Amino acid sequence: MVLNSTSTNKFNNVIWYSLAILTVLGFVIFVVLRQTTDFSFIVYKDYSSLIQTGIINTILISVISLLGSMILGFVFYLLSKSKIKYFNALIDVFTEIIYGTPLLVLIIVMAFLIGPAFNTYERNVMGTIALIIYMSPYMKNVYKSAFSSISEEQYMAMDLFGFTPFQRYRYIIIPQVIRILMPPMMNNFSLIIKGSALLNVLSYTELFYAIRLAQSKTFAFVEGYILMWMLYLIITIPLSQLTKLVERKWSL
Amino acid sequence: MKLNINNISHSYDVEVLHDLKFNLEGYKSIAIIGVSGSGKSTLIRLMSGMEKPTFGNIDINEMNVSSEEYRKKIGFVFQNHNLFPHLSLKRNITLILEKTRNKTKEEAETIALSKLKLLHLSDQVNKLPKNVSGGQAQRASIARALSVDPDIIFLDEPTASLDPILTHEVLTAVEELKGLGKEFIFVTHVLSFVRDFADYVIYMHEGRIHEYGLPSILDSPKTKELKEFMRKVR
Repeated sequence: MVLNSTSTNKFNNVIWYSLAILTVLGFVIFVVLRQTTDFSFIVYKDYSSLIQTGIINTILISVISLLGSMILGFVFYLLSKSKIKYFNALIDVFTEIIYGTPLLVLIIVMAFLIGPAFNTYERNVMGTIALIIYMSPYMKNVYKSAFSSISEEQYMAMDLFGFTPFQRYRYIIIPQVIRILMPPMMNNFSLIIKGSALLNVLSYTELFYAIRLAQSKTFAFVEGYILMWMLYLIITIPLSQLTKLVERKWSL
Repeated sequence: MKLNINNISHSYDVEVLHDLKFNLEGYKSIAIIGVSGSGKSTLIRLMSGMEKPTFGNIDINEMNVSSEEYRKKIGFVFQNHNLFPHLSLKRNITLILEKTRNKTKEEAETIALSKLKLLHLSDQVNKLPKNVSGGQAQRASIARALSVDPDIIFLDEPTASLDPILTHEVLTAVEELKGLGKEFIFVTHVLSFVRDFADYVIYMHEGRIHEYGLPSILDSPKTKELKEFMRKVR
């Protein structure tokens, strides 16, 4: 009985999701057909290796930014927890500024002002650092909520049974924190991937820039943007589906 | 059990226990009762050594409760099981035995399975706490407390978050432990359980031990506060 009803539910879900996807596709096709100019993706075939480079660079820069912001975010978390009030204040001020700053502005300030101030003209490196810095306060919050989700009583139990500090982290705290961290971390990864598109202002050949370069040759702007859109979705949708799976499997 | 409470006071933001003095010897199962906010949970935490009193000290069985020696001899069951949520019921026990009691993997496994069996959980050993009922989780928590072979087992309102049926299930399981030769100190609101299981009762009121004695004090309370309490919980 129960099995039956869940399988009907699953079947219903498939129908509803298919319908929803068809609706969106229908809308897209409608918009495309309404274009008065000729419409063809074929012209982008010649630029496939450029676009490939773009995809690879987008993924590469996103992974680097993810790792970087995970590390910097953790440092921020530790500083915000520090007993030294100056560090807490520093992180607070920094977080407020970052929250209010558009990523594009941060990238430009980083590459054209802060970089040169330190004699660095490596714009791509500075751009990546901007992305890392931009994400770090968000990562800090992820750590904060993950660590605070371990209850006071669990710490009492650890005391009671006499776990050493190392054992606490190794066997009890970190295994729980990782499970809680994973889904919001992966959401942040999506944000990073989309954010990396702004690095095009530095002429870094990530996906956005690669397509724009191709557009300037083919003059097929609408097709270019649609192609770009689809490629971003191909990267981000599996990621968010994976996030949901991890969330379900690992929840405590 | 030999219990010596020497002039303890305890404050969080306000003082919750006021200069308690109490000596007792020869009982094996002590119930602490009282309304919420009377200080009974604080008292049991201080007795277990989990928290230190602001003033004074407590000796149980001639050991200071904050000593390492004492800590190795007690087990504690929390209000809501408080198992480590990422570990199976069995692993919740074996982890403690392996890491803090120097047991081998095999010894830990044997002990864990035998204690879980004692609490009728043999078919749940590999489940995570979230996948068993509240009553089963609480029984696993009792098994965990037993697994370190304590002399004294503390239970702090073990059924506070359970419905009446699960409460019955858990308390029945506790009553079955009577034959193990352990000593018990527990806080509960379930008076039938106090009558069945305790051989001594402490009634707390506004941060003081207000009335105490054999469980028969429940039937003929002397102070008006305990009378009132008995009338209300009925």
